[in-house]
Amino acid sequence: KGLLKPGLNVVLEGPKKAVNDVNGLKQCLAEFKRDLEWVERLDVTLGPVPEISGPQSTPQNKDQKAVDPEDDFQREMSFYRQAQAAVLAVLPRLHQLKVPTKRPTDYFAEMAKSDQQMQKIRQKLQAKQAAMEKSEKAKQLRALRKYGKKVQTEVLQKRQREKAHMMNAIKKYQKGFSDKLDFLDGDQKPVARGSKEGAKGQQMKKGPNAKRRYKNQKFGFGGKKKGSKWNTRESYDDVSSFRAKKAHGKGLKRPGKKGSNKRPGKRTREKMKSRAR
Amino acid sequence: MAATKRKRRGGLAVPAKRPRKSGKDARPPAKPRDKAEEAEEEDRNRIPGPVCKGKWKNKERILIFSSRGINFRTRHLMQDLRMLMPHSKADTKMDRKDKLFVINEVCEMKNCNKCIYFEAKKKQDLYMWLSNSPHGPSAKFLVQNIHTLAELKMTGNCLKGSRPLLSFDPAFDELPHYALLKELLIQIFSTPRYHPKSQPFVDHVFTFTVLDNRIWFRNFQIIEEDAALVEIGPRFVLNLIKIFQGSFGGPTLYENPHYQSPNM
Repeated sequence: KGLLKPGLNVVLEGPKKAVNDVNGLKQCLAEFKRDLEWVERLDVTLGPVPEISGPQSTPQNKDQKAVDPEDDFQREMSFYRQAQAAVLAVLPRLHQLKVPTKRPTDYFAEMAKSDQQMQKIRQKLQAKQAAMEKSEKAKQLRALRKYGKKVQTEVLQKRQREKAHMMNAIKKYQKGFSDKLDFLDGDQKPVARGSKEGAKGQQMKKGPNAKRRYKNQKFGFGGKKKGSKWNTRESYDDVSSFRAKKAHGKGLKRPGKKGSNKRPGKRTREKMKSRAR
Repeated sequence: MAATKRKRRGGLAVPAKRPRKSGKDARPPAKPRDKAEEAEEEDRNRIPGPVCKGKWKNKERILIFSSRGINFRTRHLMQDLRMLMPHSKADTKMDRKDKLFVINEVCEMKNCNKCIYFEAKKKQDLYMWLSNSPHGPSAKFLVQNIHTLAELKMTGNCLKGSRPLLSFDPAFDELPHYALLKELLIQIFSTPRYHPKSQPFVDHVFTFTVLDNRIWFRNFQIIEEDAALVEIGPRFVLNLIKIFQGSFGGPTLYENPHYQSPNM
């Protein structure tokens, strides 16, 4: 017997159909609609202002790329442009109908947001801007420091290379492999002189003045002391430190003291005394 | 700056504070100046009657209220809407246990013909009803992504009670249910001309856009005549659930197939 038993037939629900009573909607709209003047309603239905993108070869067709609702920036920009289109379309009409759109500067009235609120907003914007500028400056400084460091290392390395080159050249000359002094830029090349002096002379032409050089030679830069006094033919022949007047005992007249210094000695005075008697 | 109420003297350029007459300082050009001064002082003492340029004919009144159990964001949104729409009236919270058609009676008592009712469930979901009170259609929405006026990222400002410009997406003209919604939104959100609490300027624009099967609402301030805009807020997204033929009841005219209940 084909009697119905529980579990024999399973109840299947059909796919849910969403109610869409188009006729009902249209009728409702017709009843509900109020024929107000446009000035009362101030509504406008327009798409967004088309954005000025690069040159488009295809003409702008109806279905422009749909705005991706997930892309926040694009979405908000499309709302902004829709509002712009509406404003641009409506303003001339409003001016024609003599509806004011600009608030005169001496018209004081209550605003939707209080002044306190606007102050808060302004402060927040300023703080944001200041923070951004600060971070920009910090970034620039960091970049500058990096660059400066790079430049500094380069200069130091260059100096090292030059010094090494100079030393090589000097050694060559010392050992007699080459007798050309081209590597020096117009600097004298005494053996006594320290290598540092030579290198320095190259870099700074003027360098320290004669007095300083003399003192440097005599007192400064430890390395010079070692080789400063040699009994060689050259040092023997070197009469640059010979002062004739000093050698002959003349010269150097002290600013004359009074004749009281010319007092003769004891013995002379006694002789004089005895003679005078 | 103390916000002063608009003096109803008609015309536009009415300063709230008159600069002190300089005639008191300069005595020599006295005679004609004195007379003008006296006339002005008299003028100031007399409180002129309200001079409206036109009569308020479009008598729309919106009742904006909510159920119990709303959270702070909803409450602020409701307050913002009340502030932006001078033709609105407020009411106390309604108990959710009462049936919805009680709202029609409340509207009638307050002499309102439209209603915005916020219903909060489980302290998370917010539903909004827009309805035309005695017989007209009503619609239920799920509200998402609420940002209120007080958020600091929205830097624009507008006059309280100024009339808005309403801007709709072309998609509102294509489908019949969107057309009905557009008419409902226009009647609710547009401030009637010459409403006593309204300001005569048009300085902000409401945008309604259909995107991703939802209606997005934005409010922009018009700064320049060349359509430079700044957002004022509030912002919200309406997800249509159903459209009913009657107010808070009646046969269903449209059901949104893309709507997914947040509880599922």
